[in-house]
Amino acid sequence: MLEVHDLTKRYGDVLALDGCSFSVWSGRIVGFLGPNGAGKTTTMRCIFGLARPEAGEVRWQGREVGREERRRFGYMPEERGLYPRMRVREQIVYFAELSGLDRSAAERAAGRWLGRLKLADRAESRVEELSHGNQQRVQLAVAMAHAPELVVLDEPFSGLDPIAVESVAGLLAELASEGVAVLFSSHQLDLVEDVCQDVVIVDHGRVVLSGDVHRLRASSSRRSLRVTVDGAPWIPNVDGVTVVPREEGRPRVLVDASVDLDELLRLAGETGRVTQFSFEPPSLSDLFLEAVTGGGSR
Amino acid sequence: MRGSAAKVLLVARRELVQRARSRAFRIGTAITALVAVGVVVLPSALAGGPSARRVGVVGEPSAQLRTALTAAASAFDTKVATEAYADVRAGQRALRSGDADVLLVGGDELVWKQEADPELSAIVAGAVQAVERQRVIDELGLSPGQVTALLQPHALRSRSLEPVSEDEAARVGLATFALVILFASISIFGGFLVTGVIEEKANRVVEILLSRARPEELLAGKVIGMGLLGLGQLLVVGACVLAALFAVGTAHLPDTTPGMVGWVVLWFVLGYAFYSVVYAASGSLASRQEDAQSVSVPVTMLSLTAYFVSFAVLENPDGLFARVCSFLPPMTPFVMTIRAAVGKVAVGIALVGLATYGLIKLGGRIYAGAILRVGPRVRLRDAWESAER
Repeated sequence: MLEVHDLTKRYGDVLALDGCSFSVWSGRIVGFLGPNGAGKTTTMRCIFGLARPEAGEVRWQGREVGREERRRFGYMPEERGLYPRMRVREQIVYFAELSGLDRSAAERAAGRWLGRLKLADRAESRVEELSHGNQQRVQLAVAMAHAPELVVLDEPFSGLDPIAVESVAGLLAELASEGVAVLFSSHQLDLVEDVCQDVVIVDHGRVVLSGDVHRLRASSSRRSLRVTVDGAPWIPNVDGVTVVPREEGRPRVLVDASVDLDELLRLAGETGRVTQFSFEPPSLSDLFLEAVTGGGSR
Repeated sequence: MRGSAAKVLLVARRELVQRARSRAFRIGTAITALVAVGVVVLPSALAGGPSARRVGVVGEPSAQLRTALTAAASAFDTKVATEAYADVRAGQRALRSGDADVLLVGGDELVWKQEADPELSAIVAGAVQAVERQRVIDELGLSPGQVTALLQPHALRSRSLEPVSEDEAARVGLATFALVILFASISIFGGFLVTGVIEEKANRVVEILLSRARPEELLAGKVIGMGLLGLGQLLVVGACVLAALFAVGTAHLPDTTPGMVGWVVLWFVLGYAFYSVVYAASGSLASRQEDAQSVSVPVTMLSLTAYFVSFAVLENPDGLFARVCSFLPPMTPFVMTIRAAVGKVAVGIALVGLATYGLIKLGGRIYAGAILRVGPRVRLRDAWESAER
């Protein structure tokens, strides 16, 4: 288990992390969410010793993380870092060796990951000759080839087409089923909901919401309401209604979980013919917006 | 788990293999080898032996004069062609047009186009004198024995108070050669290091590297890899030059002792290590290739200064100036290369070696402190303070 405990990090006048704490269990996939500048990347950099926090610590299996522990971690930074003119296979072998594998083990691991990520036919290409999506796969292979126990991926889905997203998501699920702890950040909330079991939502350097996705949704004091009357969205005029405007499509309507459904249905029926009526736990997007806009209900 | 040394070697191997594989490096090496071979081969190919000087003579030169001219020229390791001109005017025309180098008029006057050539002047004068002497000998009717007695020079014995170092010239040659190679290697491979370090920093590959290796391991690996590459290039170029030397038959290796060459190599390695670490540390201060030039200016100025100071030391390798410079670490490798090459191996080598080691540590700390700081150029002070102690 990875424990991030009370991390505080300041860049000049900017407080990047303000007592950030959460855990990642082995065999679980954790989605790490937050608006831009919330401190996600800084947290990841602290885990890998690339930034030094002023306070707080990072523990792995109960021990403070040092070089020995980090050797068993895999990292994919947001700003992808590969040698553009180095060949794909060589690159994977090199980084695996740097992580402590001997030459033949590194070669075998590279071969395995090239196959798993469908890169075998590009093994001898230079990285700069590959498409964006394929470069991303190489980056993943570099992060995983030394069989890490914890994988940390910064925005692994950004810039991928839906097919690639699907395959990366499948890969993360496989890793978790093998017992690897997976932490990844993302802006694509709908995607996160499908991929991860746990979420950690940070804002202004603090964790504002964390836990099992389904449990968080179910235990929310809010519900997503979707009512269509005479073919148009209907918004009830009762206490505790929140309307979240959307740029496209219908606005999302959140109501208190304790609202009287029969009463709502009756009110809707009075205005016209009800063709759709749904009352569900809030989506991750709803939870996210609620958490980062200061609603803070749990 | 792999030890530190294994990681350093890994990084060094990558640096060496990737750079050696690049087309730019291969072409650069080929051009360097070609130029070096050219420098060796061209002079002798173009010269084709010493060119003949043309002596114009007004009137028909005697057979004796021709023979005497050839003999006198051979004493100067050169050749003379004799050309007859009907009168002074024709001879002067030839002088002006460059068909003749000098004109002998009436057996007692030399006419030049412009400035007199002392060597050619001596050759012609010697030849004329020899002919005149022979005429007098013939006139007097001297016997061969008398001629010998008259002309036999008195042999002088020669001895020196101090032993003469016959290979002094070769040693100075070796020193100059070593100095040029040291400076060129430091500049070229230092430049490679700067761009390499900035590349890793700019594309953030350094973040993945540093999650798996210490900054010092990275730095050491890069410096060693690049150093081996430089050494390899030197060997290739050196082998080409040697082959060329033997091919044109002018192979003359400096007659120095192996011990001295050993010292030169030692200082070469130390000098390269010192400057390359400083170059790499400088590179870590920049985040973009555009800044490569400006961050390396101070190091380049330093090595340039040391390089020129060394030529002053070459004049007097045992003087006070040379001794003082031996103990200024940036100067040491250059100055000591000179002093070692001319046979003045210094005391206090351990002290200087230690100072160099200290500076390598310093460069390592700056590198460690600056390599992860992105954005504008990192100030030295910030890099120093943010480095792990």
